[in-house]
Amino acid sequence: MQIQPILAALRRHRLATALIALEIALACAVLCNACFIIAQRVSAMHIVSGADEAALASVQLTGYDSAQAADVDARALAALRAVPGVESVSPINSIPFGSRRGTAGISTDAAGEHFGGVIEFYVGGPGSLEALGAKVVAGRAPQPDDFRAFTGFMPDGGSVQITRALAEHLWPGADPLGKEFWSLKSHYRVVGVLKDLVRPDPTGWTPEQRQWSVFLPAQPGPYLTGSYLLRANPGDMPRVMRDALAAVAKAVPEVVIDREASQSVSDLRHDVFKNDRVMAAMLVGVIFAMLMVTALGIVGLASFWVQQRRRQIGIRRAIGATRRDILHYFQTENFLIVGGGIALGMVLAFALNLVLMKHYELPRLPLYYLPVAALALWVLGQLAVLGPALRAAAVPPVVATRSV
Amino acid sequence: MFRYYLDLAWRRCRQGPSMVLLLVLTMAIGIASCMTALTIFGALSGEPLPGISPYLHVVTMDARQAVDANNNDYDKPDAYLNLTDAKALVDAQRARQQVALAQSYTLVGRPDGKQSDQVQGLLAHGPLLAMLGVPLRHGRPWTAEEQAAQAPVVVIDSELAQKLFGTEDAVGRSVSLGSGSFRVVGVSAPWKPRTQFLDVQRNQGNVLGQPEQFFVPAQAALAAGVGPLTAGECGKGAAVVSFQSAEVDKCRWLEVWVALDTPATVAAYDRFVAGYADAQHAAGRFVYPPQVALYGVPSWMSMNHVVPDDVGLNLALAGAFLLLCLVNVAGLLAARFLRRQADVTIRRALGASRRDVFAQHLVETGVLGLIGGALALPLTWLGLWIVRMQPVAYADAAHFSVSAFAALLLLSLVVGLVVGILPAWRVCRQPPAMQIKLG
Repeated sequence: MQIQPILAALRRHRLATALIALEIALACAVLCNACFIIAQRVSAMHIVSGADEAALASVQLTGYDSAQAADVDARALAALRAVPGVESVSPINSIPFGSRRGTAGISTDAAGEHFGGVIEFYVGGPGSLEALGAKVVAGRAPQPDDFRAFTGFMPDGGSVQITRALAEHLWPGADPLGKEFWSLKSHYRVVGVLKDLVRPDPTGWTPEQRQWSVFLPAQPGPYLTGSYLLRANPGDMPRVMRDALAAVAKAVPEVVIDREASQSVSDLRHDVFKNDRVMAAMLVGVIFAMLMVTALGIVGLASFWVQQRRRQIGIRRAIGATRRDILHYFQTENFLIVGGGIALGMVLAFALNLVLMKHYELPRLPLYYLPVAALALWVLGQLAVLGPALRAAAVPPVVATRSV
Repeated sequence: MFRYYLDLAWRRCRQGPSMVLLLVLTMAIGIASCMTALTIFGALSGEPLPGISPYLHVVTMDARQAVDANNNDYDKPDAYLNLTDAKALVDAQRARQQVALAQSYTLVGRPDGKQSDQVQGLLAHGPLLAMLGVPLRHGRPWTAEEQAAQAPVVVIDSELAQKLFGTEDAVGRSVSLGSGSFRVVGVSAPWKPRTQFLDVQRNQGNVLGQPEQFFVPAQAALAAGVGPLTAGECGKGAAVVSFQSAEVDKCRWLEVWVALDTPATVAAYDRFVAGYADAQHAAGRFVYPPQVALYGVPSWMSMNHVVPDDVGLNLALAGAFLLLCLVNVAGLLAARFLRRQADVTIRRALGASRRDVFAQHLVETGVLGLIGGALALPLTWLGLWIVRMQPVAYADAAHFSVSAFAALLLLSLVVGLVVGILPAWRVCRQPPAMQIKLG
């Protein structure tokens, strides 16, 4: 196939060719960035929580005085434990994808000079780490005497379990067991490593920071009330939750049940990512509409050109060109136009990515998106041009003998 | 001449109906997606209180009274002040109007307990109703004397009045609020800002303004045990319970909003507040340098991310999509016009000027654009309906409005003309004689 005659023909249609190539370029830029945003959102949605989400639920109570706390706590716990199907109820301050109450900055030295980042303290009573289902991959789980009484925001220190991700961040490559860190004046020693434990609010953090959690054992007391982790058989969860909330409402009628926060952890997870899901769906819609419009544009232009060149096609056929030659001519023409568009589109894709990085905290576009998008657009172009090209190939040589 | 061009455009449209359909549909989809994103963006941007919010400013400073080793840096401007400082700023009367306020959510009922409702309202110190432009249907706002005397008076909205008493005019009646009995001095019309800008911390997740159904002087409310929705930022030794607690004497929980008309008055007020805060810092009450700053409503809202980033991202994408559709249509039009070179050259040979040819083609594309706009109307309506179905905080903003309709018509006409300019220019440059020979 000779490219020279095709280029010569395109030169006669510079404006239409340039516009379609520009359209391909825009499509390439939007396609790369939209797919990248979708991939970001989807990977965020599929974050590993490290907890047995399906078997867990949260119950949150507010609206009572600190003086009533012990009494409210005792009645609520008794009521929840009496609900048939509930396997365990543990007081814990924060819940994965739910309430966030233990966010604090830490340092890896007592003087507070080496800032270690802002992490989440899961402050839980006996049995709560087991109830969460977080796996200890090194060191040990909390022992009974690790659970300390406390009278403030959180215990004044103790032996804690930290996630692998946090250990790697604080002490890269080193064995975290026995290491120490500080928050305010409190001093903590690492005795165990958890496989994963997601922060309650992963969407607000970078992918690396989303697993920066610590489990801090504590005695239940007036400062650890009103937030409970329920464990039940996953299949039975909707019924258990309904009964549990009814039981609490009856046992402690004077408190406010935070219904939005009192849900199964699977439902909480669903809520946390609802904006991302909507955004991803909208982007899929935009991509679909965009590819559709682009394909139709190619079909329209190619059909025009086929009609316009009927006579020339007839002449070519009459002097010996096969149908295959004509077909290839239009396919090659399309390949060249789309190729030109893609070349410009790659530059536009990076420009658009820079703008999005500046305004919407998007990371840099990985390079491998470009060849994939290019391939997709070439395939789209070839599919779109196939119909008109086949029609062109079907033009009989006798057309050459007729006047237009 | 214009009518002749319209007639020509109509004849041409009939010649290639499938191509015309492709052209107008492409324009319609582009216009509709852009209009959908624009409608939502328009509803969420703009003034939350038209004519009033452009003059409002919120006072921010680092008013912490104890060292916080967890967060030594004052990395984000903080609008919460404790009652003492908020009162001092409001009572100084150095701005045109000023008020301290906090969001509350509490039970308001009839004294006989027969009717009650859990509603949102504002605790305020200062002439709240006058400053925010809350319209009164009956009665009057509370007076400075009543506020100073901590008199138990309240203004409720007409919906709450209707619900509690079965009549709108509830002036003179009493409602129970917390442990107290409050006399209704005024009934307001239902009121909410278009977008949430007051007390954004306690209204997190709300993009659209929520109805405020009662307005009460802050000190009288506290005395009756009615506090803000959350306690705000509390020092050590404050109560642990924060939901609707009135034990806020150790907390910073009020925002001070001021109405200032000119840049000069803003600068003067800034100096006044800085002077006040520096004095507190020098006296040892504020332990950190106060870093006073006033924020207007737009910058305060964007700093607090009231409108989600996704809305802007959607608008950018829709804009890019419309551009793509326009380029597509322009390309097709170029091919379409140039195919009719013979007609053009005959018209040129018969004496039509380039300008006439250009105008004729622009009329044709303008007509196509308007048809595209007409098709975009139901598509936009569909797009907004889809957005309303989504579980996002701004779903209620997705409503078709008259201004959106006007914008759509204008947009489609502009789109039709813009896509036609290049192809029309190209076709009118054809030299007459050459084409007649070829034809």
